[in-house]
Amino acid sequence: MTFRRAYPLALALVVGAAVSLRAQDSPLGIQGLGMPGRFESARARATGGAFAAFDPFSVLTDASVSGLGRLTATATGAASYLTDDLGGLSGSRRSSRFPLFQIGGPAWSHIVLAAAFSTYLDRSYHVVINDTITLGGSSQAISDDLSADGGVTDMRFVAARRFGHLALGAGLHLLAGSSRFQFTRSFSDTSTYGQASQAGEVAFRGSGLSASAILAVGNHLQVAALYRSDSHLRGEENGTVVARNDLPTTVGGALLWQPAPEASLAVSLLRRSWATAADSNAYNTTSWSAGAEFGRAIPLRVGVRGGDLPFGPGGQTPREFAFAFGTGRTFAGARGIIDVTLERLRRTGAGLTETGWTALLSVAVRP
Amino acid sequence: MSPRHLGRGAGVLAVLALAALACFQDPTSPAQCPAYCPGGRLTTVESLLATAIERDSSFQGYVEAHRAGALVASAPPGVDSRPIFETLPISIRAFIDSATSDTATGPIVVDSMKLTVIVLRRFAALRNLTLSFYRLPLGIDSTSTFAGLAPAFAAAPLRTVNVDSLLAAPDHRDSVTGDTILPLSAVDSVRQSLTVRVKFDQSVFSQADSGRLAIGVRISADSLASIALGSLESGERAQVTWFYRVDSAGTIVQPDTLRNPKTILQSPRFDGFVSDLAPVALDANLTVGGVPSTRALMRVALPRVLRDSSQIIRATLLLVPTGAAAVTTPDSVFLQARRIATDLGAKSPYALDVPDTFFVNSTPFVGQPGDTVRMEITKLFRLWQADTTAPTALYLTLLAIDRADTVTLRGFEGETFNAVRFFSSRTPAFRPSILLTFVPRLKFGAP
Repeated sequence: MTFRRAYPLALALVVGAAVSLRAQDSPLGIQGLGMPGRFESARARATGGAFAAFDPFSVLTDASVSGLGRLTATATGAASYLTDDLGGLSGSRRSSRFPLFQIGGPAWSHIVLAAAFSTYLDRSYHVVINDTITLGGSSQAISDDLSADGGVTDMRFVAARRFGHLALGAGLHLLAGSSRFQFTRSFSDTSTYGQASQAGEVAFRGSGLSASAILAVGNHLQVAALYRSDSHLRGEENGTVVARNDLPTTVGGALLWQPAPEASLAVSLLRRSWATAADSNAYNTTSWSAGAEFGRAIPLRVGVRGGDLPFGPGGQTPREFAFAFGTGRTFAGARGIIDVTLERLRRTGAGLTETGWTALLSVAVRP
Repeated sequence: MSPRHLGRGAGVLAVLALAALACFQDPTSPAQCPAYCPGGRLTTVESLLATAIERDSSFQGYVEAHRAGALVASAPPGVDSRPIFETLPISIRAFIDSATSDTATGPIVVDSMKLTVIVLRRFAALRNLTLSFYRLPLGIDSTSTFAGLAPAFAAAPLRTVNVDSLLAAPDHRDSVTGDTILPLSAVDSVRQSLTVRVKFDQSVFSQADSGRLAIGVRISADSLASIALGSLESGERAQVTWFYRVDSAGTIVQPDTLRNPKTILQSPRFDGFVSDLAPVALDANLTVGGVPSTRALMRVALPRVLRDSSQIIRATLLLVPTGAAAVTTPDSVFLQARRIATDLGAKSPYALDVPDTFFVNSTPFVGQPGDTVRMEITKLFRLWQADTTAPTALYLTLLAIDRADTVTLRGFEGETFNAVRFFSSRTPAFRPSILLTFVPRLKFGAP
């Protein structure tokens, strides 16, 4: 594929990502800052995220982009079908999003530059609450329709370079986004009480820095380490700061073992200090993953992941566990890559059990 | 297919697949509060604004008897009120014969006259309603008084008509007297109105007065003797129809119908009503109603929290009657709160430039309200919130019901002697207040 043909495709992917970085990920994020996004391509996600630290199409580590040997544009789309069981109340949700887009390639002196958009926090939800309140000395049935649509996007600018067996990378992260709120209260007695509706848009701003390294130990083993520090997330409505939340520091490591050319195994561990983000119901999280990839032409990828979620009610850290598998295909002399992944997810929180499927599709174009 | 084409096709398919993925979203999740609901929810606050009504006063004289849309007629033991009107003059000469281009005229000779009056607001329980018509001295006007016209009303009436008897007669017509009730329309049924036509003999015509005629009306009934007659202001005025011939050199002939109408129709020059009731005395309370009509001007101090951001769900004006009725009649009435265009005190005008929908009515009542009156003034509050230039003041008026249909509550000012007193802000314990239900502005963004 030539540059001329790849450019419109890349543009379409950028536009798609810009308008669709939204959708609710879990009720667990309603009372917190939201649900953190995952910085993995479909390929890495198929391994439970274990390969993300080494995957140049993922945006977890900066050093991994040193693996981009040529200009590459990557986009990932995801569609989720989730079922909630909330203390006997059940409901199903479905959503779609483009959680990741990246473009990067070699610049000069073996330095690779990349820029990426990815979902940092998802702050979308829609809840309908039927309740009864007392007005004028009598009970009035009301219905609250509460919705928020939006999120925080991580705009990442990365530079990485390989020094023999060692790849180093550093990144600047600009966090930006907004969430549109629409709260409506309707009364059953419409002749007496009018409907109340309030809308607002909160813009978010923040920043962060990251650094990472990948060391090849021998011919079959790679070790990755990452550090990321995000500052604060400021929420502004009409120019007034309405919220200011600390953002976590992230440390993590991963191990990739390739015992044979057609077999790779990886594990990763990630620790994020989300407890600083809110006064209550926010927890530090530890997440892990393990996965493998077999084959080259049409590889089979499998993986599992698990760990904590940062926000949830009841003083109890929510947890999640997921099993994923997928495959991929290269086209046109490896100038186009498509990866697909299917993930089975289960989350548990105070009174909540959430299960669902997520399908991911990544497209990489290397003109 | 070559790998090149395959790759190109796969790329296109991928883009289409991604576009399809972006096409749906249904993020609704079940609600279990407070654990899985947003921290900030809309809250409904109910607050009694006890001192929101301020600088309230009553003013009198807005609609006087001769400006009212209806002429109130009532009889003791309630208020004794008597409609009066005076007709315009007519031409007392008519062309005799136009066929020969004769321009000679002769004096008209009246044979009879029919007076048509519209009876409004007739109680369903009203029985044996009798209208008595009296000749009044010419020259009546807005300064005419009950006492001044009492001698004329003391004389024998020109005619007396029993409306119930007419209604009971075949075709609503008395073949002896010539009186009749015109056919009822659907609106008449709703309004409980009647159009009565009463026949008078030629004695009511005065050549010297050019046919001007002043009439006074008294009513009587078994009970609930209170009605209203249509007036000039409402377009439902009384009308006189003169039936005449022409005196042609001593010979009474039919007038030439080519140049003269068969009858002469004439309207009142003036109409009004006089009563034995003095205007309601104003005191420290808020008085509304009566004739001449009295309004209460109420200024509302809108809290800043409402001005800025809150959403008003309901606003109820609470008015406590003093218990000491100003004037009580059997009329069905209701209160109306209407915004003013600009606050000029007693001379504050209504918003008259366009049909104003920013008014609210109370529920109707007869005589005096039995309890605290509640008026839903939500629309006024919302207006004031949206239009910060509008004066936050309203007139409170008492209107007599005059329905034009079965849905709309319609009424007019100055058409009832009924007057109601409410406690004003000068009586702190019972002052007017506003029960406000609103939703404060929510602070979005906080988790």
